[in-house]
Amino acid sequence: MADAEKLALNAAPNGAPIIEVRDLHKRFGSLEVLKGIELEVRPSEVVCIIGPSGSGKSTLLRSMAFLEEYEDGEVLIEGRLLGYRQTPSGRRRDTDRNIDAVRNCIGMVFQQFNLWPHKTTLSNVTEALRVVQKMDRASAEKRAMENLEKVGMRSKAHEYPGQLSGGQQQRVAIARALAKQPRIMFFDEPTSALDPELVGEVLNVMQTLAKEGMTMVIVTHEMGFAARVADRVIFMDQGVVVEQGAPADLFETPRSNRLRQFLETWNERSSGDG
Amino acid sequence: MLAEGAVFTASLSLCAIVLGVFFGLLLCFGLMSKNKSLRFASKVYRSVWRGTPLLVQLLIIFYFLPHAGINLPPLGAAVIALTMNTAAFQAEIYRGGLMTIPNGQIEAARMLGISTFAIRKNILTPQMFRVVLPSLINETISILKNSSLISVIGVTELLRTSQQIVATTYRPFEVYILAALAYLAMTISLAAIGRYFERRLGKGQRAAHVL
Amino acid sequence: MSFDFDLLVRFAPLLLSGFLITVVICFFAGIVAMIVGLIVSLGLLSKFALLRWLCRIYVEVMRGTPILIVLFLMYYGGPSFGLTLSAETVGIFGMGLYGGGYFAEIFRSGFQSIPIGQIEAARMLGIGKSAIIWRIRIPQMLTLILPPLTNQMILLVKESAVLSIITVAELTKNTTQMVNETFATLEPYLAAAILYWILIEGIALLGATIEKRVKH
Repeated sequence: MADAEKLALNAAPNGAPIIEVRDLHKRFGSLEVLKGIELEVRPSEVVCIIGPSGSGKSTLLRSMAFLEEYEDGEVLIEGRLLGYRQTPSGRRRDTDRNIDAVRNCIGMVFQQFNLWPHKTTLSNVTEALRVVQKMDRASAEKRAMENLEKVGMRSKAHEYPGQLSGGQQQRVAIARALAKQPRIMFFDEPTSALDPELVGEVLNVMQTLAKEGMTMVIVTHEMGFAARVADRVIFMDQGVVVEQGAPADLFETPRSNRLRQFLETWNERSSGDG
Repeated sequence: MLAEGAVFTASLSLCAIVLGVFFGLLLCFGLMSKNKSLRFASKVYRSVWRGTPLLVQLLIIFYFLPHAGINLPPLGAAVIALTMNTAAFQAEIYRGGLMTIPNGQIEAARMLGISTFAIRKNILTPQMFRVVLPSLINETISILKNSSLISVIGVTELLRTSQQIVATTYRPFEVYILAALAYLAMTISLAAIGRYFERRLGKGQRAAHVL
Repeated sequence: MSFDFDLLVRFAPLLLSGFLITVVICFFAGIVAMIVGLIVSLGLLSKFALLRWLCRIYVEVMRGTPILIVLFLMYYGGPSFGLTLSAETVGIFGMGLYGGGYFAEIFRSGFQSIPIGQIEAARMLGIGKSAIIWRIRIPQMLTLILPPLTNQMILLVKESAVLSIITVAELTKNTTQMVNETFATLEPYLAAAILYWILIEGIALLGATIEKRVKH
């Protein structure tokens, strides 16, 4: 997408932030993986999080979904605290039901697709509609088909995940998350488990979503994609946000040494590949 | 009395396992032999001994052999039955263990002109035993438990001893609980040894996650 | 010594009725074992340490004790508690409780071999805990554990021979009766071995067929 086109679509993400992360800390045993993260995402904004492996970027995204239970700080989704509730005696872990209610507006796509291998493509997508939203079969399948159509997987509706390529599986996983009609989409390294030639088809689907104004937070190693599609890029290292800004600024004039090094290593590797 | 029975059970099981190692290995190489009829015979043996109840095997050996002119004391019949049974299971364990050894090692040895027998003895078997140790200990546990069956032909091992005590005391519950504890003490220590080896081999399971 | 076919024909009803009892008892014991195993396996994976611990003890005790002792405890020890059960009932529940310990371990490892990501995906879609267990974990676990489950069922059939010792008129018991009445050994035991073999091969075949059908 040309920059001008993109600017016209969602250059001015407006209104109050849809996601707020305040002073977020996460430890695994004695290892502190997130050291006080601050982050805001506005409606229709596309945020890419980049950084070396072990920088905490996946943990950040998973904490924002409460798949990792963060200890200190806050994650607010549409203004509501995720994972905890205030009681007179202090903060308590929230009930599963309340957690589900708060993150209902989030759809998530994982590195390993995580489709259920014992269900067809179609029933992977209808499962949550039927069980959670109690939709009847016909309308659930109609909604599922629309979303499969959108990711170009309608023709594979009756096949099992094991019969699909990685790229196809990931597109089904995107359709599964979209069918719930989320207002926010999280992507946790969605192309890292794919063969290089299958990366493009997944990125295309994601780019279309971005164009339609979906709010997206993407952890990725695809610098080209981040440069093209992101409104804002966040560079993380060792559990902190080192630098953030518009992709052009960040990639062309990195201010910190760590980002400069990271980009150099990445350039060397990708030119080596080519 | 119970302690005596337990010691007897333990030594009998150990005896069957050790003899089983020898016959199990023999059977294992029979199963993997190039000779078709040897392979077939080994398969039949394995299938019969793994596919019928140990109790039936024991009764056949105990009651049938005398008809065939071989007179055996109950203890002899018991050892033979347990050994022939465990040999079939051990052969399968060894076969599985050998399959984990990369074929390249055998090819390398062959290219160096090492004979098949020497390859088996010096290269395959030592490596295989490390791999199969946990399974072998599981097999020992099951033989230990199954050895209780030989009480049926009158060998006074742990269970038979308990039965005799029950006959004089009329306290079946207490006595059988004690016998159960004696078996448990033996099997749980064996299992602990098995886990130790499993950890040392680095094949331990990942930490259990909860539902 | 020669093989006497007439003998087998004469005693066929006795052997076949024993075979039938073996089949019926194993069938019901298998069902009890699966129910017990499933419940215990859920306990083994519970969040509550006490429950996990109790289920672990159950499994270790059942796997560490000879089945004969379990049967004797129920059959001879039960009456001390006013619990007088028929030999057949002891057979079904004794083998069921015993097998349950083994089945529990199979179910547990089946549950644990489902990648955690699949559960996370379900949770992110808002699917509740019990729906995850019934709709995602159990169906997949069943396909994963079918081979060990078949093996365990075969072991249960072979273990069932010991029921003859507590006087259940199953195959081994009736075979022994035939031996005692005829003084022949080769014919009855050979027939029994073949009948067990048929039953076991039948279960193996059934397991393989189901496995083929559920595999995608």
